[in-house]
Amino acid sequence: MELDEFRTELDRWLDAAADELAPGPGATASMDGEMAQLAKVKRLTFDAGWMRWGWPERVGGLGGSPLLRGYLGEAVTARGLVDPGLYSMTEVLAPTMIDYAPPELAADAVPRLLRGDETWCQGFSEPGTGSNLAALTCRATLVPSAAGDVWRVDGQKVWTSLAQYAQRCVLLVRTGTVEDAHRGITALFVDMDSPGITVRPITTMHGRDEFSEVFFDGVEVPTDRQLGDVGQGWAVAMDLLPFERSTALWHRGAFLRRRLADLVVDAPDGALRPDEVGRALVDLFALRARSRRTLHRLDEGERLGPETSIDKILLATCEQEVFDLAADALAERVALGDDDASEHWRSEYLYSRAATIYGGSAEIQRNIVARRLLDLGADR
Amino acid sequence: MSAIDDAPLDEGGLDATELDILTTAVRQAASSRSGADLDAALDEIGWVDAVAVAPRAAVSALFEAQGEACTTSGALGRLLGTALGVPLAVGDTVLLPRFGGASPPARRSGGGTEVDGLGGPGLVGPGPAGARRVLLVATQPDGTGSAWATAPVTALRTQAVVGLDPDLGLLEVTSGQPLDVGDWSAIDGPGWDGAVALGRLAVGHELVGTMRTMLELARSHALDRVQFDRPIASFQAVRHRLAEALVAVEGAAAALDGAWEDRSPLAAAIAGAACGHGARTVRRHCQQVLAGIGFTTEHDLHRYVRRSIVLDGLFGNARTVTAELGARVLQDRSLPHLLPL
Repeated sequence: MELDEFRTELDRWLDAAADELAPGPGATASMDGEMAQLAKVKRLTFDAGWMRWGWPERVGGLGGSPLLRGYLGEAVTARGLVDPGLYSMTEVLAPTMIDYAPPELAADAVPRLLRGDETWCQGFSEPGTGSNLAALTCRATLVPSAAGDVWRVDGQKVWTSLAQYAQRCVLLVRTGTVEDAHRGITALFVDMDSPGITVRPITTMHGRDEFSEVFFDGVEVPTDRQLGDVGQGWAVAMDLLPFERSTALWHRGAFLRRRLADLVVDAPDGALRPDEVGRALVDLFALRARSRRTLHRLDEGERLGPETSIDKILLATCEQEVFDLAADALAERVALGDDDASEHWRSEYLYSRAATIYGGSAEIQRNIVARRLLDLGADR
Repeated sequence: MSAIDDAPLDEGGLDATELDILTTAVRQAASSRSGADLDAALDEIGWVDAVAVAPRAAVSALFEAQGEACTTSGALGRLLGTALGVPLAVGDTVLLPRFGGASPPARRSGGGTEVDGLGGPGLVGPGPAGARRVLLVATQPDGTGSAWATAPVTALRTQAVVGLDPDLGLLEVTSGQPLDVGDWSAIDGPGWDGAVALGRLAVGHELVGTMRTMLELARSHALDRVQFDRPIASFQAVRHRLAEALVAVEGAAAALDGAWEDRSPLAAAIAGAACGHGARTVRRHCQQVLAGIGFTTEHDLHRYVRRSIVLDGLFGNARTVTAELGARVLQDRSLPHLLPL
């Protein structure tokens, strides 16, 4: 399936299925509503085949290029059918399973994720471990059990997106010593209904309680739920990043473009200045061009590396630029508005403040650029 | 051959080896020669012919190299001729718009033709006086499309531009009295807009070249300069400034990439603006990192500061073009659809 054909056929299908795919009125006003909408879109696109393109056949896919996944995400985002952040989690989690899970596990689990039958979360950050992920301390110890040795997990994760909705967790645990640092980390695929797991949603300032604290208290995980080998968890985490910085990034860029387009329509006359709108257009084009090239490199089998920190910096900067514009042009609606649309603008403006914090903070990205791309030597 | 949207989708009939030979020769020439010397070298290489078959490779290689080395040539004027589909004889050049604008530099009226534009560095060079002709473009009197005519340089008033960057070799070219320039020929196809688009991409690449050199100068200084017993490159404040500068360069380069892929004059305008804005960011951070030494003429930074500021004024500067883009979006109440995946 070539991209041009995929594009044409998908656009036609999305037009035809528009009523079915559309969120009902007020449906996306809550987190529960967003999740239900996402599950619906995933189910419909999976059953019609679209969601399966770009994924290997051995995990329920139809094969084909990652560009196809890129376009699908762009199309459903541009039509306002899904929240891009929620949608794109698949882009990050599925490749992890495909590359590191035992084949039977991947074949069983990935289709459920793609179809929206399951939601997964990613247990990485901890209260004491954010930017310095290699220092994580959530512990897994091999203990005997009736069914042979199992991992017993004790510890805590935080900022775990969608944990309260998730059936499974891609969990990074320390299996080695603290001195082993990143070499003592292992990745596990954990069922969220395992005894000993407690999920506590975090109330955020933007009105969507999208992440949680997750507590692990003597949680047993069979060894056949390892993703990769013992001590390979760091590679699992690092290999996940390029997917966040390629397809997921492309989707978010499409979302920003849509919201700028919406802003231009929603803003009162004279509320937007030509120079600031023009600048947002220019910056979004640069982001789009950069992300497009990254996706094509991925498609050509190139290994994505620290240069994708540039893509991430461009994205976060654009996101804040677009929503700064929105907050200025729609100031009264953002400050006072109670209707659905105003609440979306308000929530998205507040969430945009986190764009330079999540997924590797702005400071970390610039450190990476300085060290790995500019070769500026040690920073101490 | 006219403008980028008619350009061959691949790089014409040139295979990878031929492209490599071309771009290597062009970069080599532009990094070590300037002015008439560089023009001569480009003639030997057959650069103008290469533009017809491999526009992206030919334009990006030459103009980025010129920017990186702070050299100059008459290539921009000759590039416009290629874009307009007008055959240029040896010694001909196309007049560029006035500084800060993108309108055709000639205006036709009942009384004759008025000229107000810029001559690129190739305008006045070796050869018998009067051997050089200027190709003038004007909007058609009925407003539909544009047309070209020629005039000898001697019929025009030329004044060397000194200002911020005399080394760039620009000339202000005016008509004084309205001229009688003879026959006007209509320009087919994308016409002047297509030529401006290609010119913007060329200048954009030259700006990216200046940005890369400014960043390299700052980077190199940061690694060499020791204060408080360590290279200043080890301080996070310095590292982050240079990181911002690299993001600006890569963003501008990406915009140019996108414009070549998209092929529309609108994308070229956007990319040109991205390069102008990016250059300002790079100047700011690199000037700061280079501190005292970068502020003297003993150091090369000032040459790139001057060059990049003046280049931004060719075919309209980033600020004005950006405001025009925004005004159009506000008027249409929609964003253009550019650069499909």
